[in-house]
Parts: sequence; structure tokens; C-alpha cells
Amino acid sequence: MIKQLLKQPQFLLGFFIIISLLFVSLGLNSIYEGPKEVKFLYKNDGSISKVAPFSPTDIPPFGTDRDGRDLFYMILDGAKYTLLIALGVAFLRLVSAVLISFLYKGQLKNNTFFNDLVQSTLYVPATIFAYMLMIPLFIKSTTDPISFGKMVIIQCIILTLIGIPSLVVTFSGDIKNIMNKDYIISTMSLGAKKKYIYRKHVLPEIKPKLFLLFAQQAVQILILLAHLGVLAVFVGGSQTEMRGDFLNLTAENVPIAGEWSGIIGHSFQEVLTAPWIILIPLGFFFVSIFSINMMISGLQNIISKNKRK
Amino acid sequence: MTSRYGKRLRSIIIGVIIISFFPTLFFGVEQQKSMKPWEYMLGGRAYSLFPDIFEKFLYSMTILLAALLFGLFLALTITFISTLLPRSLQKIIYGFYTMLEALPDLFIIIVLQVSVVAIYKKTGLLIGNVSNVYESKIYFFPILTLSILPAIQLFKITYLLLNEEMNKPYVNVARSLGHSNVYITINHVFRNVLASLFHYSRTIFVFMLSNLFILEYVFNLHGIMTIMLNTKGVAFIITVLFVAIPFSFLFEWIERYTQRLNVHREEEAA
Repeated sequence: MIKQLLKQPQFLLGFFIIISLLFVSLGLNSIYEGPKEVKFLYKNDGSISKVAPFSPTDIPPFGTDRDGRDLFYMILDGAKYTLLIALGVAFLRLVSAVLISFLYKGQLKNNTFFNDLVQSTLYVPATIFAYMLMIPLFIKSTTDPISFGKMVIIQCIILTLIGIPSLVVTFSGDIKNIMNKDYIISTMSLGAKKKYIYRKHVLPEIKPKLFLLFAQQAVQILILLAHLGVLAVFVGGSQTEMRGDFLNLTAENVPIAGEWSGIIGHSFQEVLTAPWIILIPLGFFFVSIFSINMMISGLQNIISKNKRK
Repeated sequence: MTSRYGKRLRSIIIGVIIISFFPTLFFGVEQQKSMKPWEYMLGGRAYSLFPDIFEKFLYSMTILLAALLFGLFLALTITFISTLLPRSLQKIIYGFYTMLEALPDLFIIIVLQVSVVAIYKKTGLLIGNVSNVYESKIYFFPILTLSILPAIQLFKITYLLLNEEMNKPYVNVARSLGHSNVYITINHVFRNVLASLFHYSRTIFVFMLSNLFILEYVFNLHGIMTIMLNTKGVAFIITVLFVAIPFSFLFEWIERYTQRLNVHREEEAA
């Protein structure tokens, strides 16, 4: 299957974009410290001509945000967090869903009740569900601080948990169909154990679908992250910083990790005055989703080809 | 049949209750107790859930359904036009829409909002209000925004279904009888495609509900999703059920309808 994938141009292009974004982002810090914050632009005679945020025409290629931080650097730096979270959580979701549905299939014969129960998640958007679970976490962290690493882990667990039930429903349906096939029944009558059947027969059959679902889950998580950014729920938590002079102090939530949705959420109030700060990270979300979609269509080509055989 | 729906509804209600207790399960009771059961919070103030919720529910559903219908209309028109085009152009259009499909909903919402404001600043022409002010409700712009992504998805689905349908034997029979391509598409193929579209109703609904939520948040519309975000406990359960009960009924009906359709088809095939 992997050999076939390497022959799909769509898959390769998508894969290349994602991997290069990741590598540039991971390697960036060791080579380059990042540009200095620029808060003012001066005219030739030394007077101030412009104040941050600068548009992409003032400071190419992407401009800066209100604190004068270079958006291009922030995007590249943040790519690793966003992409790794999306891919990692998608992976965790799939692995745990497959394990659960193997265990759960062995125990329950009639799973309509569970399926109907999971139907209820249709009516609560994943964003609201995640928000509900993460806000108490933030409130808790104000009274007794949670370390950055622990925060990220807890949030990833929450993101994982949200997606598991519907995946379990899909998998247990698939497994049930496979287990009812004739050759499985004959394998069983030859004395094979369930574990052996799962490993040798069921897993290879759902493998192409696993790849497909992995990519789809990654897209869903990327969109979920963008939404959470707008709601000012940042992965990695946020610090409260005081801004303005002493007459007009405002508390501002500053995301700790430089993740894309953090950039969006941090500057969301400026959507009409400086739209590029929001649109450029969203554009990168678009690029990542597009490349994952390309990978999906490459995968689908192979799956339909193999079926025709 | 009705008892099956009753059972399903009961499990959905249990599911919603479980969801509403999740935060308490993780983080203890004390944080969740702060709110009265019949209230929702908005901008730091508490409002009573009833009778506000009826009005907000109607408002959100108007936007959702209007957007769905408009999106469906757009998708079908584009599909129909593209069937009349040559094959190579069709492929280009399809590829273009595949690219558009990757656009995050937020991106579309913000691009439209920013461009309307920019047009207003430049020319003084206000295409539509982009934010709710006090009690006046806006319809045009949210509906337009919400309809774009479903239109793209529906286009892709109908296009694929249509191509599949075009290869079926009855189309060839109709062609050999001398009917024109346009006639066959409108009178026979489109009808069958519409029936198959029902299979995707759940996916489209989930997708649109999530879009509706972020739309309400960005445009500052006070609809049912805003309430859902700002409630806890009992009030949350009630709000979700407001959405869940009518739609689960609708899905049940659709499921039964498509089942009957399939039975019909099987009988015809036999």
C-alpha cells in the first residue's frame, strides 16, 4: 500500500507540504532567533510614521501584530505545535477507538443502545463540548497553577476523548461486518482465538480505512483548534498580562505556546482594523487542510483501485 | 416504529445528560453550582431561559434552514450547469471546488465580513449588516455566509452521484428513445440524485451546526448556539434538547423514507 501511495502525485504533494512545514518549524529555532519586535516605523527625519500593527505591505511578507511581532516568524514557529497536536490527537483517537471497539465488541452483543447514546453528540458541536471541558481547567489553574506541560497533556486528552465515541461506533460496525464474513467463521471453527483473528484478519481489512479516518480526524481537529482559538481557549493555556498605562489598565490573555489558533485568538478583537493578523494564520490552516485533503484523495484513489481488482 | 423512535430519543436524552455532567466529573461540583438552573449568562449578566429560548431557537433555525435551502439551490444549479459543459471543464470545476472545500469556515466568515466593511468604507454601500446591534436581527448576511460551505459540499456530492447515475442503464434507454440530455437530466437523473442526497443529511447537519455556532459567535448573533455555549447543567440540557428533539425526529423520518425507497428499488429490481 505504501508503494502504491508513493506513485500518487496528489498524496505526495500533500505529504510534502505538511512535512516541509513541520521540518522548517522544528529546525527554525536552532538556526534563527527570530526578528526583533518592531513597534514603530520611522520616517527619514526620525519622526514616527506608523505604529504597530503593520500591514504586509509595510513589513513583508506578512506584517506584524499589535505587539510588533513578525507574523511570518510566528507562523513558522507555531506550525509545529498546531500540526503535531492535530496529527498526535488524531492518532491517539484512532488507536484508542480501535482498542476500545475490539474490547467492546467482545463483551456486548447488542450495541444499538450505545450507538443511540453516541447520537447525542451530533447535537452538541465539538467546539462547545471542548469549551465546556476546558474552561473549568482554566478556572482551576488560576487558583492552583498547572505547569505548561501538564496543561498541554490534559488538553490533548480532552481533545482525544471528544472524538472517541463516534469513532468507536464506526469501528464496531465495521468489525461486526467483518466478523460475520464466511472466512472468519471458518477460521473460528478451526480453533483460532479472537485475538489472533483481530490481528491477522480484521486489522488488515480496516487498515486502508484507518489511514483515511486518520486524515479526516486531523482535518476536524485543525478546524476545532481554529474555533477554540476564537473562543480564546488556547492549547497550553494563557498568561494574564496587564496592558496600557496605569489610568487604563486592561488585562489581556496572552497564549503561552505560539500556536496558530493562539495567534488568531490573541488578536481576534482587531479583525476589522488589522484583518491580516487573523486571515494569514487561517490561510495556513487552509493550506494544511488542503494538503491533508490531497492525501485523502490519493488514498481514496488507491482504495477504489484495489476494490476493483 | 414509533416505539423505536421513542427508545432512540430516550438514549439521546441520556446521552445529553451524560455530556452535561462531564465537566463536573472531571473538575468537581463547586465550579458548576454557581448558576441557577433556569438561567444563561451573557456578557456577565444572567438572563432567564424562558421565554427567550423560543425566540432564539426560531431565529437560529430560520438562518440554518434558509442557508441550507439556498446552499442546496446553489449546489444544484452549479451541478446542472456543469453537466452541460464539456468533460475537461467539468474536471477543472470539480478540482476547484475540492480546493475550496478545504477552506475553514472561519476563513469564509471573516473574509466576507472584512470585505463588506471594506466596501462600505470605500463606497458607502452597505451590502448587509455584519453584526447584530441591540434587538434588531439580521438575516441576509448570516444566511449567505452559512450557505457557502454546504453549497460546496453538496455540489461535490451531487456531482459524484450524478456521474454515477449517468452510467446506469435507464439513461441509455432514455437516450436511445431520443430524449435530449437536458430532459433526461432534469426529469430522471436529478430526481434520483435528490433521493440519494438524503443519505448525507446527517453529515451536512452536523457540519452546518458547527458552522452556525462559530457564525453566531463572530457576528454576535444571539441564537440558540450562543445559549448553548453560555449555560451549564439543567439549562444546557434543555437547550441541547431544543435542537436534538426536532432534528432527531427529522432524521428518523428520513431514515424510514430512504429505507422505503430502497425496498421499492429492490422490488423493482426483482
